[in-house]
Amino acid sequence: MSHDEIDRILSREEEILPSSGFAASVMGAVRSEAAVPPPIPFPWKRALPLLAAAGAALVMVVVVLVVGVTQLSRGGAASPSAGEWVPTFLPFVNSAVISAAGWVTLALALSFASVALSLRLASARA
Amino acid sequence: MSFADDQADVDKVLAGDVSAYEGIVRRWQGPLVNLAYRFCRDRGRAEEMAQEAFLRAYRALGQWRKDAVFSTWLFALATNLYRSELRRIPARTVPLDEVAEPRDPRAADGGLEDSDRDHAVRRAVLALPAKYREALILFYFHDLDVPAAAKSLSLPEGTVKARLFRGRELLRRKLPEVLAVPRLKEA
Repeated sequence: MSHDEIDRILSREEEILPSSGFAASVMGAVRSEAAVPPPIPFPWKRALPLLAAAGAALVMVVVVLVVGVTQLSRGGAASPSAGEWVPTFLPFVNSAVISAAGWVTLALALSFASVALSLRLASARA
Repeated sequence: MSFADDQADVDKVLAGDVSAYEGIVRRWQGPLVNLAYRFCRDRGRAEEMAQEAFLRAYRALGQWRKDAVFSTWLFALATNLYRSELRRIPARTVPLDEVAEPRDPRAADGGLEDSDRDHAVRRAVLALPAKYREALILFYFHDLDVPAAAKSLSLPEGTVKARLFRGRELLRRKLPEVLAVPRLKEA
């Protein structure tokens, strides 16, 4: 079978007619769609200051954690009054701080992901 | 004629006159239903897919840039929807190696009748891998117009030409000779 023959067969496709109520059915669906109020746009003006504050808080938390861990790791030399207990508790404190930082990071990442997903879904529906 | 009508109706719809959309539906219902039918070979499903395409076009009407012909934009939107729908729920097909089976056993000894052969070729198109099937469907829907098919598929013309060639090659190889030459009756 040649390409020309394939062209000839596939070119003479029989046309089908839409059923008589098709246009009315489409217009019914369109009118229902038009009757639905438009989706509420995302309130960027209100959200932006909050998002900026959240970002600043995140940066602060990271800075505080880094400084805290650094000071703790130098604990013996930096604070003589800490005396003997610092070396004992240092690994525990370190791991607790790192664990908390991990949880905070995970929570923030999940929050950003859920906001991004909501925005994406809202824009897909718009 | 149609382009000016489309533009006028779109302007009315965007200005809030929903009923003006009916003009667009009546003008393009035939092509959109037929295009859907070529994708799924099921009349009921074709109408459902075409209705969804009209709804999506209504929602996205404001995104039509008037430097392109309305029908080009509409076909691209519909094609995109039909491709997604067919990926979600594929059309019922038979393997490419089995499409040449004659429906009428009386024709088995003398090759396929013309109508059976045409039917077999169309079924074979549906059994092709999606990228070749879509290129072939759009090419023949647009009366062998490669640029129009490329626009509907949002692909470069060269890619469409390559897929057309490969798709027809697959058809030519897979469809047995019985489609082209009636077999001699055994003595």
